[in-house]
Parts: sequence; C-alpha cells; structure tokens
Amino acid sequence: MDFATNLLSTGTLSQILVGLSRTTILFIVSSGMSLILGVLRIPNVAHGSLYMIGAFAAWTVIELLGGGLFAFLAALLVAPLVVAAVGFVLERGFFSYLYERGHLMLLLLTFSFALILGDLVKIVWGPEYRSVTVPAFFQGSAEIFGLPLPWYNLFLLVVGPCIAVFLWLVINKTNVGKIARAAAVDGEMVGAVGINVGWIFAFTFVLGSFLAGLGGALIAPMVNISLGMDHSLIMETFLIVIIGGLGNMWGALLGSLIFGLAQSLGILVWPQFGIAFPYLAAVAVLVVRPRGLLSSTW
Amino acid sequence: MRRSAATLLPLLLLAALLALPHVLPRFHTYVAAIVLLTALLAMSLNLAIGYTGLYQFGHAVFYGVGAYGTALVLTRSGMPAPVAFLAGPLAAAALSLAMGLICIRLSKLYFGMLQISLGSLVWAVVYRWYSFTGGDDGIHGIPLPDAIASPKGSYYFTLIVTELCVFAMFRIVRSPFGKVIQGIRDNPVRAAAIGIDVRRHQLASLVIAGFFGGVAGSLFVVVESSVFPDMMFWTFSLEVLIMCLLGGMYTFFGPLVGASAIVLLRVFASVHTQYWGLILGTILTLVIIFLPDGVLGMFARRSLKEDRGA
Amino acid sequence: MRKAVSILAVVISTIFMAGSGVAADAITVGFVDTYTGPATTFTNDVLDGFKMAAEKINAKGGVLGRKITYVTRDDKFKPDIGLTMAKELILKENVDLLVGTINSATALAISDLCRKEKIPFFATFSKSDKITGEKGHRYVFGMNENTEMVGRATAKALAKRKFVKYWIAGDDYEYGHAIANGVFDHLKTLNPKVRLIGESWWKVGETDFTPYITQILAAKPDFVIVATGGGGMVNFQKAAQSTGFNKKIPFYQHTAIELSTLMPQGQNAPEGVYGTANYLFYYPDTKENKAFVEEFRKAYNRYPKSGALYGYMTAEFIAKSFEKAGKIDREKFIDAMEGMTLPSPVGTMEMRACDHQVTLPMFFGVTKKSAQYDFLVAGDVISVPGTEYMPSCAEIAKARAK
Repeated sequence: MDFATNLLSTGTLSQILVGLSRTTILFIVSSGMSLILGVLRIPNVAHGSLYMIGAFAAWTVIELLGGGLFAFLAALLVAPLVVAAVGFVLERGFFSYLYERGHLMLLLLTFSFALILGDLVKIVWGPEYRSVTVPAFFQGSAEIFGLPLPWYNLFLLVVGPCIAVFLWLVINKTNVGKIARAAAVDGEMVGAVGINVGWIFAFTFVLGSFLAGLGGALIAPMVNISLGMDHSLIMETFLIVIIGGLGNMWGALLGSLIFGLAQSLGILVWPQFGIAFPYLAAVAVLVVRPRGLLSSTW
Repeated sequence: MRRSAATLLPLLLLAALLALPHVLPRFHTYVAAIVLLTALLAMSLNLAIGYTGLYQFGHAVFYGVGAYGTALVLTRSGMPAPVAFLAGPLAAAALSLAMGLICIRLSKLYFGMLQISLGSLVWAVVYRWYSFTGGDDGIHGIPLPDAIASPKGSYYFTLIVTELCVFAMFRIVRSPFGKVIQGIRDNPVRAAAIGIDVRRHQLASLVIAGFFGGVAGSLFVVVESSVFPDMMFWTFSLEVLIMCLLGGMYTFFGPLVGASAIVLLRVFASVHTQYWGLILGTILTLVIIFLPDGVLGMFARRSLKEDRGA
Repeated sequence: MRKAVSILAVVISTIFMAGSGVAADAITVGFVDTYTGPATTFTNDVLDGFKMAAEKINAKGGVLGRKITYVTRDDKFKPDIGLTMAKELILKENVDLLVGTINSATALAISDLCRKEKIPFFATFSKSDKITGEKGHRYVFGMNENTEMVGRATAKALAKRKFVKYWIAGDDYEYGHAIANGVFDHLKTLNPKVRLIGESWWKVGETDFTPYITQILAAKPDFVIVATGGGGMVNFQKAAQSTGFNKKIPFYQHTAIELSTLMPQGQNAPEGVYGTANYLFYYPDTKENKAFVEEFRKAYNRYPKSGALYGYMTAEFIAKSFEKAGKIDREKFIDAMEGMTLPSPVGTMEMRACDHQVTLPMFFGVTKKSAQYDFLVAGDVISVPGTEYMPSCAEIAKARAK
C-alpha cells in the first residue's frame, strides 16, 4: 500500500475538506441526540426515525412546491418543524409520564416508537424510493486543490457552524437554555425553585427532534430517501454522543469531526478496512476517557 | 396446597413439552424449538442485566459466536459433533471474558456502548471474512448427526439442553454467588465495602451469561442448520433486551415470557400483515405504560420486596 | 405459576395460528421475499410480473384444469425470518412450489431447505452465483442473472476497449466484491494488458461518496468498476453527477441503465455511465416486448422493470412444465422443465438442464438523455446472448463437485 504517498498528496487536503462537510449532518443529528440524552436522560432510539421523517417530509414539501431553490429552502424550514411537532406529541403524550421509570424502560419506549414510526412512514409514503434533486443553485462543484468539491458540500460546510453557533446561543444565552442545563444536572432542584420543569423538558425534546428533522432534510438531496434510513445513522449517532460527552454541544461537534475525518482519511490509509476506523476510534476514546472527551452532564 | 401445586405444575409442564411434537404439526414443533432457544438466550442476558445490573447491550454477539463456532467445527473440522457443541459456547464464553476485561471499568450506558462497539467489530470481521465464515451469505446445509437432524430430534435436543441450562442458571442464581451479584447490582459500593471483589464477580457473571448465550446459538444451528451474520448484529441485541424488559427483568422466568411473546408475534404477525413493527411497537408501548415491571414483574414485585428486605 | 403463563401463551398462540386455508384443487406458489424497506421497489415487480402471467393462464383454464394461486410472506430482508417463513409455507400452508428472495443469504438457506424437503424453489432477484453454481442442486432454479454471469458478460463488452488502468470501488459486502472481482478477473483473462491500480470499499448504505470520488480522481485511472448494490446505485450516481465524475472518468455499474436506477433521478441522472441490465422496456423493440410492456402498464400503471421479467417467466415455466409433465408431480415437473425453451419478451429463454439456470440476454449500454421520456435511457446497446457468457456446464459441474 503506497499510503505514505497518498497521505502526503494534495488529495489529502481535499479529503479533509470533504470529511468536514460530512461532519455537518452527523453533528446536527448528534447534537439533537446529545441534548435529549444529556438533559432528559432518554437514549432516543427513535432519533433515526425522526431523521427519516425529516427526509420524507422534505421530499413532500419539494414535490408540493414544484422544486427549485425556494422549495428546497422552504423544505429546510418546514420538514424540521413537522418532525418537531411529532417530537412534541411523543414527549407530552408519553415520555412526560414515564420519566421516573429509568433509562432501560425509556430506551424500550423509544425503541417501540422507532418501530411504530418506521411503519407509519411506510403507510404514509409507501415503499418506493424517493429522490430529491439538488436545487440548480447548488449543482456542480468547485475546484479545490484541483479536485472537485460539490457546491452542496460547501453549503453544508457553512450550515454546520451556523447551527453550532445558534445552538450555543440558545443553550448559553437564553433563559430557557440555562434552565435546561441546570435541569440536566439537577432536575429536582430546578423544580424546587418553582420552575415548571415539564415545559423545559418538552422544549428540549422538541429542539432535539427539530435537529434530527433538519439533518434528514439536509441529506435528502444527496441520497435515496428510503425506508431503512432510520437504521443507517443511529449507531454512529450514539457513538458520537458517547465519545463527545453527553449533553455537550462541543462534544457532539468534536465527536462528529472525529467520525467524519476518521472515515475519509481512513480510506487513504487502509482502503479495505476504512469502515472500521470510526469504530476503532470510538473504542480507543472510551478506553482512555470513559466519560467522553469533553464534560458530560451525567 | 401451594406446596403440591409448586411441584406438580412443573411436572405437568414438562410432560406437555415432551408430548408436544406428537400432538402438534411439524411447523409448530419447529416454532416451539425456536421459542425454547430464544428463551434460553433471553434468560442468559438476564443474568448479566437483571441479576448483575450490567448494561449488556451487545449480547447477540455471544449468540452469534456460539452459533458460528459450532457451525465452523461441524463444517470444517473432522471432529465429532459433541466437540462442536462445546466449542461454540466455549468460544462465546472466552469472547465474553475478553470483552468484559475491556469494558468492565466503565459503568452503565458507557459499558453498553463500548460493548456494542466491540461487538460490531466482531460482526464486521465475520461479515467480511468470506473465505472462512461465508461472509454475509452465511453458512448453510450444516451437517448434523442423524438423531438430532430430524424435526422431532432437533426439538427434543433443544428441549433437553434448554431445560438443563435453565436448571443450571436457576441454581446459580439461588446460590451464594447469585446473592452476591444481586447485592453488587443493588449497591456496588456497599458490596466492595464488605470485602467483595466486585470486578471478579461481574466478570464471572458475564462469562456465564456469554456461555449460555453461546449454547442458545448452538441450538439454533441444530434447529435451522444455517447461520447468518445478522445473528450478532446490534439490532438483534436490542430485540433480546426487549424480551427481558417485556417479560420482567427482575424475575427469573420473565425473559422466557418475553421471548415467547416476541417470537410468536414475529411468526404470527409476519404471516398475516406487513406492519409487524407497528403491532409490536404498540404492544410494547402498552406494556410499558401499564405493566412497569414487565409482564411477570407485576406478579413478582410483591415477593421481590420481601426478598430484598430493608 | 410463571411457567404456566408462558406455556399457556404458546398453546393459545398455536391455536390462533390457523392456516389461511388453501384452495384444494389449485397449484399454490409460496413467495418469500422482502416487502419491507428499500428492496420493495424490486420485489413488487417480481410479484406483479408473476401475477400478470398467472391471471392470463388462469383465464385460459389454468394448468391441467387447476388455477395458479399464490401466497406471500415478508422476510424483512432478514435470513432467519425468511427461513421461518419458508418453513411455514412448506409445512403449514403446504405450498407446491416456493419462489423468492432478493436476499442471497436467505435464498441460499431456503435453497438448502428445499433440497431436504424436495420442493422446487425458484430464486428470483438474488444474485449470488452459488445458488445455481457451487450450491446448486436438483430442486433449485435460477430465474435471473448472478454475479458470475454479470462479470463474464461485462468483461466481454469491456475487453475490446482501450482502457488499461482500472480502479475497483463498491459496497463492502459479498455482492459488491463478487461483481467487481467477477468483472475484473474475467477481463484480465480476455485482455491481459489491463492493470488494477487501486480499490475503494465503503460500507453498505454509504451516503457520501465525495471522499472516495476525489481519491479516485486523484489517482487518474482510465476506467472505474463501481460495484454498488440496489440502494447505493442512485446515491452513487447522484454523487457522480454533482462532482462531474461521470464526465471526467468513465465508470460502470451493474444495473446503471435499469429503470429502477434512472427513473427516480429524472433528467438529473448522469450521462455517459456504462451499465448492464437484463431487461429494458424499450429494447429490443420487438413485438413481444412491446406487448409485454403494454399489458404491464395497463395492469399496474407503470413501466415494467427487470423483476417483472423474472416473475413473468417464472409463472410461464411453472405452467408449461406441469403441462408437459401431464400431472401434478414434483419430480416429473422438474424433469419436464430441464432443457425447456420458452418465448419471452427478450427472446427465447432456455432452462438449462445441467444447472437449472435460465439463459438470459445481457444488455450493455451507456446512459443518455432521451427526448421521449423524462428520465435517461440506455444508448449504444449491445446485446450479449446468454450462451456466450454463462459458465459452461463443465465449469458448473466442477464447482459443485468441490
């Protein structure tokens, strides 16, 4: 394997940029999961289903509005809102009554919802593949270091940090965010001070769901939208959240970076086993720093 | 009255199970065998999660390794069948020890996630090592000794092995060792304070759970004479976990009820509808809301409170 | 007490599992296939093609006076469920024949089961060459192409071209490796000048191919063999389109020119992509094909894809073989089918006696825009007849002897 020469070429720089753009989707979906797991202590197995609904909803919006840039941007707003609404129903309708049951039961509950939502998607949208085309504005690619980087990937490279900043502002600068962080560490105390913890939890779950839906909507132009999407991300999302530190936004970003880069650089080093690199990275991190790389709310 | 019922009932059950293949058609005998080995698998998981309190999220890998170990010895080495049936569970136990040593330093969710990661690595190796493990095609047409290859034969073999293993697990759980691991589950700090080697006991529990999970895998080979890498995938681990939680994690027979329900639902629902997920998900949701300790947990909660004392 | 609950559960559910009552004087065909998830787009065509042929046959009086009926079971793309469903169909529903499935592991497991139960099994859509090759036997029939066949046909088409430096890429599972290696290994025997300069493998279900595409572009091969499975086809083509990959380096995918790959992308599918397929609804432009397409569109309101051909011909072979056998007897049925040739929408098809594999033509073409349709179609189509690319009976015998 002439991986030494591979590693030192300009191809590497291009690979890094590409790795960064795939970080965006991972980060958006994982940050939602991290919020839910960190603040609400719910291991949300249904997070993948929410992501999938986001993709399908985006397809519907784009179909209804006839395609084009406007339809796409509308989908980026409407689809996550639809998913947020689903999240609201789940949280207020079910989770809010069952918080004291403990992690395992909540995991079981989210698993049940994952099953139900998966079939609901089949009922609503049917089993055929759906496809969304990249709006003309983003088609084609730029030449970076002599190699093509699709405009859509560049768009993602910009969107990612924007979402990160937005989340940071919400969590650290708004009252709701600050209370949510406090509730994550000590829910009882927050309740004792007279704050309605229930609405805080609802807000957190809705925000997490919104993020999952946004991830699904953003990835829609790049993939086949199909049943089974819910399984594709869920394991990676959990691992990213764990290695980054539960409830920690920057942790989710760091974890996503590690995952995205591990894979895109891994294939330069050892193409046959590139798929194993992210898992090896996860194992390595957990063995060395069991609580995750950055601080965790648990 | 209670005393005689307690001894009479298991005997009646045993008689019913022994008579099953003569009364029910072939397909139902086959399903019963699947129920039995899945119940064994779920109960083995419960040793780790219900009795020792370890978040064993990757249990399916031991099932798969047990199955593949048996399958590989039967198809590739010239060794006699009994060796194969020992090799599988022993390989699973060894893997459980190895993984346990790596994961045991972590607690709760982190333990579970690391276990899944390691399990996924094992899965990936089996999935890609086509020349040795058959890759994602699996191994089929595994040769079995005539006595246990027939539908009735495989059922009886499964029944006998399952009964023996359940009996063994029952004794383990009721033994001093069993009390210690439950003590560790409830309060590891206090257990350590009175001089118990917490880590050693947890590891032992993991090895035993892995061993019996591997036995369940070997039984799968007997019933289906095929193995697939899907057997060790994390989604199946979650399903087995669901069986434990559904049936009642803090009872001994809870996972058996959960496993029976899920296997039967899988077969029955798949035959009549495409929306198996919707049905299973709805049932689970109802059980969680109305039966917080699982189906059997509901009966056991009272006696458990008495057992645990102050 | 607790054990009683569980045993009761077993008994009650057993009673509930009453069979759905199969019509006594009918030929029942059991389908085990994946009707959940992304594979459904392919498997529905197999079932619909079968239904179309069966309805026509039944309208003319059926087979030896009996109607063809069918039951379906969903294996959810899981081999253990598939095997259980197959057992259910054989042991409880007492089907006469079994058809399925798109998952090769399941197909192999069911094939082995059918060998033991002596029930004919028609493999549809699963592409492992072991089904009729190494693990083939009297009771299994291959109704579609397999990876070995694809490799040979494609190698023939590529051998005469000027490409020398090859790159292989694909989904990291058995199908991906089988296709890629199948094509390249045979290519090398036909054209010793070709060289493999690198490989890329990604996980099944990968969504972002950009890092792999940029790596391949940097290496500058002449041609790339891309071995993606069903779900990955569209994803890869989308990535090729957005990076302009298809314009920079020519590449090939099996089923790149198929309707299932091109239709979802509309006018945005990449042009200039090489591909193979067993069925194109617009080629050959024969009377038989046109009639088939018309019938299918009238019945199901969509164009037929490859699966429809497999399903349709499965029904045809079943019907004609029973008729030739003269009675409903499985062994005579098998004997009758061996060597049988039937007309099909793509020409004459033969059920080879030595391995129970149907001979299909393989179409090799390049994607291009079409004025007639709002999706891309295959242009410069070459048709490679089955007899020219399938493994010989001697090679099959050798593989099975191992």
